[in-house]
Amino acid sequence: MNPAFQKKVKRNDRIARWVITIGGMAIIFSVIFILILITKVSLPLFLSPDKTLHASFQLDRTRNGEKVLALGVDEYLETGYTINQEGQVNFFNVSDGSAIDTLRLSSDSGSQRLISAQTYGRLNHMLVWDDGSVTIEQVKFFPFFDEQNGNQRSIRHRIEHAAVFASPADGLPVKTLARANDDGRQVRADLYRSGEFRVTIAEEEESLFGAGERVEETHLLELATAGQITAMTMSTDGMRLFAGTDSGEILRWDLADIDRPVLLEKTQAFSDQREITSLSMVFGDVSLIVGDSLGGVSTWFPVRDAGNNWTLTKIHQLTGHSQAVKQVSATPHDKSVVSFADDGLQLSHMTSERFLVGITLPGQQLVGYALSTRGNAVITLTDQGTLSCWKLDIPHPEISLKTLFGKVWYEGYPEPTWAWQSSAGSDDYEPKLSLTPLIFGTLKGTFYAMFFAVPLAIFGAIYTSQFARPKFKGIVKPAVEVMAAIPTVIIGFLAALWLAPLIERSLGAMFLSLILVPTALMVSIAIWQAARKIEPLKRVERGYEFLAVAPVVVMAVAIAAVSGPGLENWLFDGNLKQWLFDEMGTRYDPRNCIIIAFAMGFAVIPIIFTIAEDSLSNVPPSLKAASLAMGASRWQTVWRVILPSASPGIFAGTMIGFGRAVGETMIVLMATGNTAIMDLSIFNGMRPLSANIAVEIPEAPVDGSLYRTLFLSAVILFVMTFVVNTVAEIVRQRLRAKYGRF
Amino acid sequence: MVKNLKNANKFWRVGEPMVWMSAASLAVTLLIAAVLLIVIMVNGLGVFWPSELHQLQLKDGSQVIGQLMQAEPTADHSGIRRQYKIANRDMYGLDFRWIDETQIVAETIPEQVLVLERIEHGDFYGELQALKHADKLQPATLDELNAALTAVATDLEQLGELEKKLKDASYKMEQLRLKELKLNYKKVAKTDLQWAELSNTKQELNTEFAGLIDVQTRQTNKLREDTAVFTDANGTEKEIVLADIVQVYAPNQMSVSDKAVFYAKKLGELFVGEPRESNTEGGLFPAIFGTVMLIFVMSLFSFPLGVIAAIYLREYAKEGLVVRIVRIAVNNLAGIPSIVYGIFGLGFFIYGIGHTIDSLFFPERMPTPTFGTGGLLWASLTLALLTVPVVIVSTEEALGAIPREMREGSYALGSTKFQTLVRILLPMASPGIMTGLILAMARAAGEVAPLMITGVVKLAPALPIDGNFPFFHLDRKFMHLGFHIYDIGFQSPNVEAAKPMVFVTTLLLVLIVLIMSSVAIRLRNKMKKRYTFGTF
Repeated sequence: MNPAFQKKVKRNDRIARWVITIGGMAIIFSVIFILILITKVSLPLFLSPDKTLHASFQLDRTRNGEKVLALGVDEYLETGYTINQEGQVNFFNVSDGSAIDTLRLSSDSGSQRLISAQTYGRLNHMLVWDDGSVTIEQVKFFPFFDEQNGNQRSIRHRIEHAAVFASPADGLPVKTLARANDDGRQVRADLYRSGEFRVTIAEEEESLFGAGERVEETHLLELATAGQITAMTMSTDGMRLFAGTDSGEILRWDLADIDRPVLLEKTQAFSDQREITSLSMVFGDVSLIVGDSLGGVSTWFPVRDAGNNWTLTKIHQLTGHSQAVKQVSATPHDKSVVSFADDGLQLSHMTSERFLVGITLPGQQLVGYALSTRGNAVITLTDQGTLSCWKLDIPHPEISLKTLFGKVWYEGYPEPTWAWQSSAGSDDYEPKLSLTPLIFGTLKGTFYAMFFAVPLAIFGAIYTSQFARPKFKGIVKPAVEVMAAIPTVIIGFLAALWLAPLIERSLGAMFLSLILVPTALMVSIAIWQAARKIEPLKRVERGYEFLAVAPVVVMAVAIAAVSGPGLENWLFDGNLKQWLFDEMGTRYDPRNCIIIAFAMGFAVIPIIFTIAEDSLSNVPPSLKAASLAMGASRWQTVWRVILPSASPGIFAGTMIGFGRAVGETMIVLMATGNTAIMDLSIFNGMRPLSANIAVEIPEAPVDGSLYRTLFLSAVILFVMTFVVNTVAEIVRQRLRAKYGRF
Repeated sequence: MVKNLKNANKFWRVGEPMVWMSAASLAVTLLIAAVLLIVIMVNGLGVFWPSELHQLQLKDGSQVIGQLMQAEPTADHSGIRRQYKIANRDMYGLDFRWIDETQIVAETIPEQVLVLERIEHGDFYGELQALKHADKLQPATLDELNAALTAVATDLEQLGELEKKLKDASYKMEQLRLKELKLNYKKVAKTDLQWAELSNTKQELNTEFAGLIDVQTRQTNKLREDTAVFTDANGTEKEIVLADIVQVYAPNQMSVSDKAVFYAKKLGELFVGEPRESNTEGGLFPAIFGTVMLIFVMSLFSFPLGVIAAIYLREYAKEGLVVRIVRIAVNNLAGIPSIVYGIFGLGFFIYGIGHTIDSLFFPERMPTPTFGTGGLLWASLTLALLTVPVVIVSTEEALGAIPREMREGSYALGSTKFQTLVRILLPMASPGIMTGLILAMARAAGEVAPLMITGVVKLAPALPIDGNFPFFHLDRKFMHLGFHIYDIGFQSPNVEAAKPMVFVTTLLLVLIVLIMSSVAIRLRNKMKKRYTFGTF
C-alpha cells in the first residue's frame, strides 16, 4: 500500500480520536458546568456582608465648631456634610476632607443656635433651635453633567426648607420631635421638664368654600404611666406617636384625628423593667425599633390578639450590644436597623435577623453616624473628630436560611408563616422569599400526579408486556411512546381551558365516575367469569381483555355523566362546591390538584410505562415458562415471578417519572392557579418551583435578591431531579448488566 | 359454605380479576389519550368550516344573527340555553351571547346574511345594503362587492410594496443610527469625512422616507374612501371601509363543495398569513417560521455534538467507571427540568456570553443590548443542550445494535478505526441517528418553558431571516407555535374569541410532533428488527 496514503489514514484516525474524545468529555463537563453556573449565581445570597474603609481624616475643628449635631453623605460617596451648633452646613469632599462650601441655616424665628438635631428618612434633618422652634431641612444631591466640559459628572447639592414649626407657648421643652408630611400636616411632640407631654398638630383643612385653611391644635397627652419618658418616635407621616419609658413601657398614640389624639395602648415591653433608651421606625413605618439599656435591639409591631385588641408584640430580636443602646435608626432604603452604643455601630436586617456589619474604632468613641440613601456607605464621627467613610457591600441582607426555609413573622402578619410574595407596588415593602411553600407546591403536585399515574402506568405495562397479544403490543408500545412526545404546553392548555371548566361543571359526575368505574369493572368481570364457562367464549378473551374492558369504562363514565347532576341535586342540594365549603371548610379552586393529577399524570404515564414495559419484557422468558409449567396461573406468574425480577426497572421508571413531574413547568404554570398556599387539600391549587421561575424570572432584576433566589430554586430542582435520576440510572445499569440487554 | 370460601380463595389466588384490572389500566390510559386527540381534533378541525348563520326573533322584539356554538341546561335546570357567536364586536361589545330557548320566538336561516372577516374587531354578521364610492351610495350585490374588494386588493398590494420599501428605509436608518453611535463611541473627529458621508446618506434617506410616507398617506386616504354600508340583524346601519375587509362570504348560500374550497383556502392562509387581532386571527406564518428556524439552528448544534459524544461512549471510551459516570451524566442531562435549562441559558448564554459579546463588539450600543438579551441563537443553544441526550441515547443504541462481526470484518481488512466508523458503522447506524435527531426536533418543537426566558415573544416585529445584510439575524427575537398556544390561550384579552385559534394551533403542533415522533419510532423499530436476528 502507498505509505503516504497509510500515513494520511493514520493521521486522520488520530485526529478523529482526539476530536471525539474531547467531544465526549465535553458532555460530562457540561452537566457539571450547568450545576456550577446556577449555583454560582445563587451563592452570593449567603456571602457575609463586607465593609471597607473608604477614607478617614480629621475633621476641621475651626470650620465645624464645637459640636457636630448631624452628618450626611451622598450615595456616590463624593460629598459629605456636617451640621454644627451654629446652624452651618459644611460640605466637604469625602475622600480627603477638603472643604467644598458652607451654607447657613436659620430658623424663621431668627434664632441662630441649634440645640439638637435628628436625622430620619432620606437625609431629612429635624433641627431644634434654642428658642424651641423646629425646622425640617432636606439635603438633596443630584448628579450634574457638564456639556461644555465633555459631559463630566459632578454632584451638586441643595438644601430644601421642608417645614417650620413655631416655638411653643409654654416655654422650652426638654425633648422635641417633629414630622411633616406631603399633605401639609405638621406634628410636633414636646416633653417638658414637668413631665407634661404635649402634641401640636397643624393641618390644612378644606373649608366649605374649598379654600384651604390652616388649623392648629395642641393637646396635653394622657400618660398613665409610672415611668419617665426616655425615648420617642413618630411615623414619617405624623400619624402615630410612640414613647418609651425608663421602666420599660411603650406607649402608642393615634394622632390621625387632629381634635383628639388617642392613647391606644400602654405595653410593658420588658418584664425586667429595663429602660427603653431609643425608639425609631423601620423604613415603611410599620415596625418599631426598640433599643434598651441592657443593649438589646428588637423590633415590634401591633398584632391583633384573641380579644380583637391590637398589642405591640416583639417580633424580631436583633443582635444586641454589650452596653446600653444610645440610638437606633432605620436605613432609608430597606428593612435594616442601625443601632449605636458605646461599643460601636451595628447594622442588622429586621426580617432575616442577620447581623450585617459592625463598626468600632479602637480607642475612640463614636458620636455620630450617617448612612447614604442607597445604603452603600456609612460615615462615622468619633469624639476625637475623626471622620471615617466606610463602603458597605451588603447585596442581600434580607436573605438567610431562615427566611428561605423557615417561618418568619412578616410585618402585618398575625403570626410567623411561610410566604412567597416577591414584589409589591411600593418600595417600603418587606420581600417574602420563602421557598418552603414552593417546594411544598412542587411535591404536592408531583404526589397527586404520581398517585394517578403510577398504578395506571405499571398495570398497563404489565398487561402490555405479559398478557396482550404480540400484535397489540406492537401497536400499543409505539402509541404510548408517541404519547410521550405530546408537548406539555398542549396538555396544560387543555387541562386549564377544557378540563378545568368541565370538572368544575360536573364535579359530582366526576366523583361518581370514580366510584362507578371500578364497580362496573368488578361487576362486568364477575359476569364474564360466569359467562366464560361456555366453551367458545373461553377462546375469545385471552389477550383481548383491554378491548373488552374499554366499552365498560366508557359506559361507566357515561352513566356517571348523565346521573351525576341528579345525584348532586339529591345529596348536596345541587351544589357540591358550596357543600364542600360549608361542611368541609375547603374552598374549591377551579384550577386544582384534580386537574394537575390528570394532566401531569398523563404527561408522566408514557415515561413510566415505557421503562416499566422494557424491564418487564426483558425478564427471561424461561422464568415465565418454568412458572407456568409448574401450574401457576398467569397472574401468579406475573405477580410472584416476573414482577420481582423486573422491580428495579419499574422502580427506575417511577423515579424518572417523578423527576419529570417535579420539573414539569408548562402544565403547572397553566393549570395550577399559581397561588403559593400550603394546603394539602385536593381542591386547591399551588405554586410549584418551576412555574414560579417561569413567572418571575422575566421581571427579576439581574443579580438582585429575587434573581438569585430563583436561581437557588433552580438548583433545588436540579438537585431533586439529579438525585432521583442518578438512583434510577444506577438501578437500570445493574439491571442491564443482569439481563444483558437494555 | 366452606366450599364457597375455598372457591373464592382460589378465585383470588388465580387472580384473573387482576389481569382484567391491568387490562382496564391500559384501556383507561389509551382512552385518555384518545379523548385528548379527539378533543383537539373536534375543536381544531371545525374552526374554518363556515357554519350556517341563524336569525332569531326574540320575545322582546329584537333580532339576533348568530352562529350556534353550544347548548346546555340553564342554571336552574328549567330549560336549555344556547350560546351564539354574534360577532360585531365593535357594535355590541361582546362576541358571544347566551340566549334562553324560551326567549326565542322564531328561527330562520336567511340567505342574504354575509360574514365579513375584518382586519380589526373580528367578524361582522349582517346584510349588504350599498357600496359607497366617491360619496355616492349605490345598491349592490355580493358579486359587485367582491369585484370592488378585488379592486381594492390590487391597490392594497401596491400599498404593501410601499410598506416594504418603508421598512427597508427604516432599517437603513437604524443602521445609520448605529453607525453614528459607533463613530461617536470611537470619538472620530467631527471634521472626519465619515461624518460628512453619514449626514449625506442620512439626508438622502430622510428625503426618501418622507416621500414614501407622503405617498403612503395619500394612497391610504384614497383607499379608505371606498366603503360599503351593511345592516345588522336589527337594521342598524354600519359603514365599513373596504380596505378593512379581508374576506366576504355568505355561508347560508354555500354548497358543501363551496365550503370545502373555502376551508382549503383558509387552511392555506393559516400557513402563509400574518396574525391579526393580537394573534387571535389570521395566519401562523411567523410562528411556524420561528419554530422551524429554532429547530434548524438547534439541530446544527445538537446533532454533531450528540453523535460525537455517542461515538465516543460506544466506540472509543473503555468500558469502566468513567463511561458509567458519563452514562449517568447523559441520562441526568435528559432528566433535568427544562426550566432549569432555561435559567441556565439566561444566566450563561444571555447574561454571560451575550453580554461579553456586546461589550466586545457593540460597546457603542450600550446599554441597549444586542446579544445580551433573549434571541434565536440563545434559545437554540439552550434547546440544543436540552436535546443532546436524546441524540446521544439513540445514536448509542444504534451503534450498539450493530453486530461485532461488522467491526471485526472491517479491521481484518486493514481499515483503521476511523475508516470503520465512517464507512461501515455510521451508514449502518444512520436510521438510529435519524431517529434521535427527529425525536430531538419533536422535543424542540413542543418545548416552551425554556424559550419563555430565552427569547420567544408574542409578536416579533421581523423574521429572523430577511433581505437585509447579514440575512440571518440570530440576535432577533422570534415566535414559536408552543408559546403561541400559551400566549393566546392565557394572555389574550378575549379568551373566548381566541379559543378557535388556540385549538387550530394546538392541532397543528400536535400533528407536527406526532408525525415526527411516529416516523422516528418506526425508523427505530425497523432498525431493531434488522439487526436483532441477523447476528447468529
